[in-house]
Amino acid sequence: MKRFSFAGGALLFAAALLLSNHATVTAAGTAITGTVKVTGSASNADAVVYIQNATGTFPAAKAMTMDQSKMQFVPHVLPVPAGATVRFLNQDPTAHNVFSPDNEKFNLGTWPQGQTKDYAFTKCAKFPCVYTLLCRVHPEMEGYIVVLQNPFFAVSGKDGHYTIDGVPPGSYTLAVWHAKAKAPGKPVTVQAGAPVALDFVLAK
Amino acid sequence: MSASGFVRLSSAVFLVTIGIMSQMATVQAVPAFARKYQTSCQTCHIVFPKLNAFGEAFRLRGYRMPGETEELVKQPPVSLGAPAYKKLWPNAIWPGEISSAVPLAVNIKMADVNTSSLNGDGTVTHVNNDLQFPQEVNLFGAGTLGEHVSYLAEVTFGENPDSSVSVELEHARLQFDSPFGPEDLFHFRIGKFAPNVVDGFQEMWLSTDAGIDSLFAYNPIGLNGGTGLAGDVSPMPISIPKLVRGVEGYGIIKHRALWVAGLANGIGPGPDGRFDGNNAKDVYARFDYKIGGMGLDGDTGGKPVPEKNWRDNSLRIGVFAYRGDGGGIDFPVTSEDGTTQNLQDLHFVRTGVYASAFYQDLNVFGAYLHGRDSLQLFANGGPMGAVFEPDYKAWFTQADYLVYPWLQGTVRYEMLTPGDRSAPTLKTGVFNLSALIRANVKAMVEYQRDLRQGANHSLNGLVRFAF
Repeated sequence: MKRFSFAGGALLFAAALLLSNHATVTAAGTAITGTVKVTGSASNADAVVYIQNATGTFPAAKAMTMDQSKMQFVPHVLPVPAGATVRFLNQDPTAHNVFSPDNEKFNLGTWPQGQTKDYAFTKCAKFPCVYTLLCRVHPEMEGYIVVLQNPFFAVSGKDGHYTIDGVPPGSYTLAVWHAKAKAPGKPVTVQAGAPVALDFVLAK
Repeated sequence: MSASGFVRLSSAVFLVTIGIMSQMATVQAVPAFARKYQTSCQTCHIVFPKLNAFGEAFRLRGYRMPGETEELVKQPPVSLGAPAYKKLWPNAIWPGEISSAVPLAVNIKMADVNTSSLNGDGTVTHVNNDLQFPQEVNLFGAGTLGEHVSYLAEVTFGENPDSSVSVELEHARLQFDSPFGPEDLFHFRIGKFAPNVVDGFQEMWLSTDAGIDSLFAYNPIGLNGGTGLAGDVSPMPISIPKLVRGVEGYGIIKHRALWVAGLANGIGPGPDGRFDGNNAKDVYARFDYKIGGMGLDGDTGGKPVPEKNWRDNSLRIGVFAYRGDGGGIDFPVTSEDGTTQNLQDLHFVRTGVYASAFYQDLNVFGAYLHGRDSLQLFANGGPMGAVFEPDYKAWFTQADYLVYPWLQGTVRYEMLTPGDRSAPTLKTGVFNLSALIRANVKAMVEYQRDLRQGANHSLNGLVRFAF
């Protein structure tokens, strides 16, 4: 199971929420958990479950890392909040390139083992913005950056489980993104101290 | 030539045909797919190589299961490019895949051959227990190359009595599956392949070791029209070709109808190492419709399918046509006075109908073929005499009955009325009992008889296995 935690934990999160005019949450927030089933797929991993639009202001996203390791993008899918900078690290003894043909398109060039390049995802006009990551040197490599409006998201594990921590109370639409399958979003009402469970079944 | 002479000739040809055609009968049971999907042969075959409805859908869909999903493929392919590269075309290579394991399979056939043949001088030659171990070995490569490409290659090795080995490249084709339009409406193939104009009653339903010679091995060339089956001649005249070199399009319309259109080299080989005997191309087409049972693409309409997956209560009927051009291709013929002249099959047309009915454990099917040839003698580089147009008729009917899931009995009757009406009609009966010792190991006993001349018959025991 993969889960996202941000900005140094609950204390910083609470501070951010207190600064927000719209925030109506307790410091701890509430967890949304559930499972994602990707119909016809051998794995239920790499589905991004996220709250579609959350009101309030959010702390600045910290830098995140996408590795190129063993000729794969790791993680395969990396959701980031809007404005986040992603550090691309080449861990392989062979040179790697990173580019994306999506949205504003970018090509960071090609660099050797141990070096990094950064890219800030600041241009998303309509969330989610999905950037397919490719490597010109190794055409089979593929990864995804999913830029989201807020920091309330999680990536499903191989067993399909996901947990989004610290969701402020309120009514939302919980949506899901997957590279090969889709499902409509679901309304969800979050109350303080009352964890919510919501499952998704995705199909091509 | 007298009528008795024709009898002797056709009898000899009958046996030559038994010897040649049975050894080169194509088999398409491809264990590479069993490995890829980690599934039994019985998923697609009744008694291999005969396909069940699911297997026929798998074949027509370019070796993809109906409703195939990623989790059904137990050997994930190796990516040759991330799918997102499609967005970059033409500035990047369109992405594809290859199998993670080499998709090779082997098929071996061993035969205990017993034949009786009437010779031209009236004597009978008997061959008892000629152990042709092995008689042939087929090496297959088959699979998919990503979403819309598939392929099949097959090389057959036959060991000759003098220890030499004959090699035949039976299939080598690349296929583009549903590259555009509704799924399965358009498939295109290029290479050497069994044309879909006959695929179905030539290979896929074939339960016997002996081929359906009345349809595929007739020789239409003769001074008064064809007199019987062709032997191993070159160039090889065409009745309906078992294999072609060409291009073909086919597709499934609304789950139930199949269309086929193709273009092929035609009669060959030609002079100077060419495959084609002339520059003209042959064309063919087919259309058929299936009533009841599983759709041709595997669609079930949401209805439950029989637990016994060989059952597919249905009726499939179709028509087919083949038009060839043999202009400029000389076939030497010897007249009664002993002089040899050249005959050309200027153009020829084959039309036919066929049907296949499944009911429970019984499958009855057959085809009728009518052929017309425009023949003309040529001498000293020019035509001689008038064009004459003999026609011939051939048909067969076959019944396969599955006694147990591992045991099938087959009876086939074939009849051929040659273009030269003074030649006798050929009638052949075939009985086969096939037992699956394992899903991939088959034992057969097969009896074939010339119903017009009883001295011509064969009784063979065969073992075929694939891995």
